[in-house]
Amino acid sequence: MEQDAQLVQQCLQGDGSAWEELVRRHTRRIFNICYRFTGNRTESQDLSQDVFLRVYRTLGSYRSAHGGFATWMTSVTRNLLIDHYRRTKRDRITDSLEDKMPAVENKESAGRRPDEQALLGELGGQVQSALTRLSPELREAVILRDLQQLEYSEIQQVLSVPEGTVKSRINRGRIELARILQQMGVRPS
Amino acid sequence: MNWTCEQTEARLSDYLDGLLQPVEQSAFNLHVNTCERCAPLVAGVAHALGGLYALESVEPPPQLENAILTATLGAPSWRNARRWLKSLQSPRFVYSVASVAATLVVILTASGFSFRKPKLADLRPATIYHKTDRKVHQVYAQSIKFVSDLRVVYEIQSLKNDNLENPATREQTIPQKSPDKQPGRTDKTNPSAPKQQNRADEIGRNLRVLAAQCPVLSGSIGERRLP
Repeated sequence: MEQDAQLVQQCLQGDGSAWEELVRRHTRRIFNICYRFTGNRTESQDLSQDVFLRVYRTLGSYRSAHGGFATWMTSVTRNLLIDHYRRTKRDRITDSLEDKMPAVENKESAGRRPDEQALLGELGGQVQSALTRLSPELREAVILRDLQQLEYSEIQQVLSVPEGTVKSRINRGRIELARILQQMGVRPS
Repeated sequence: MNWTCEQTEARLSDYLDGLLQPVEQSAFNLHVNTCERCAPLVAGVAHALGGLYALESVEPPPQLENAILTATLGAPSWRNARRWLKSLQSPRFVYSVASVAATLVVILTASGFSFRKPKLADLRPATIYHKTDRKVHQVYAQSIKFVSDLRVVYEIQSLKNDNLENPATREQTIPQKSPDKQPGRTDKTNPSAPKQQNRADEIGRNLRVLAAQCPVLSGSIGERRLP
């Protein structure tokens, strides 16, 4: 964590290699958050790039005293994901209406690659699919807690809500996820 | 203590994370074991949580890092150029440049190049060579002369020391002055030998010449008394 703060300082002094190191360290984590939230690799790639672009531009506003760089970066990612969710909401409503038309083929399976289809056959794929059906506020809480293994205090910092709200969202998110999985026919053995 | 379904649902995550107190744990278990609604719910959430934990980290596309770096720092060629410029600030490079500059200054100074009135013609290799060659010869000649002068001084010094250490020899070598007897007499009064007298005169002359040529040595030589 301290190393991240040092790298940020070097970046602010114009050291390009320090920024390269930061990108190398966090690309995988940020891409995974984006992917678990959107369920789409292409969108996740674009969003990850946007996250790093925003972080690069606002690097001067980061204060190590207020928390770790990873938490700050996760917060930036979360804000971008919510923006993206709101921006694409209209598209999703249109898609949803098209899904209800009988003549239209299953868009969910049509838009996926063969390897993604194979993945969906497994529990992991089903959980990922169920995750994307969660409301964004429950989804982000579950992703941060159960996939990114963040502490409650860190999630509180990222989401800017009280700890009680964080716990409540995580609990509701898990219950909702279990219900969606049950609706999908996935039951505990 | 009997818990309701709402209570159980509200504390479900605490139960799964192992955060319930023993009393709460007992109450939770008691309710779940007897409630037809909550038992499948707990099993379902535990299963979903297992599925979440089983999700593996997704490998990002290989071009993602490069795309991010290009979007933030610019194209790879520009990044390499910046890295190269950055390397010029390293202490090793600065020391190398300083040593090369010092060497050039020494060579130019040796060749007689005037830094106050620099001329382009002075920088021609042939000019530098000829001037340097002449300078080297001058320095060589001066050093040869200096060494030969030093040799004379050391000879005189050693001779003086010998005389001081061996008074018997000194008596033999230094001419004794006698008011009654003239040099060259054979009346066993130990007159000075003419050859030794001549050598002492010669050394004295050499010293005077040396003192005239090397003003630095004149003080120290002047202080010493010739035998």
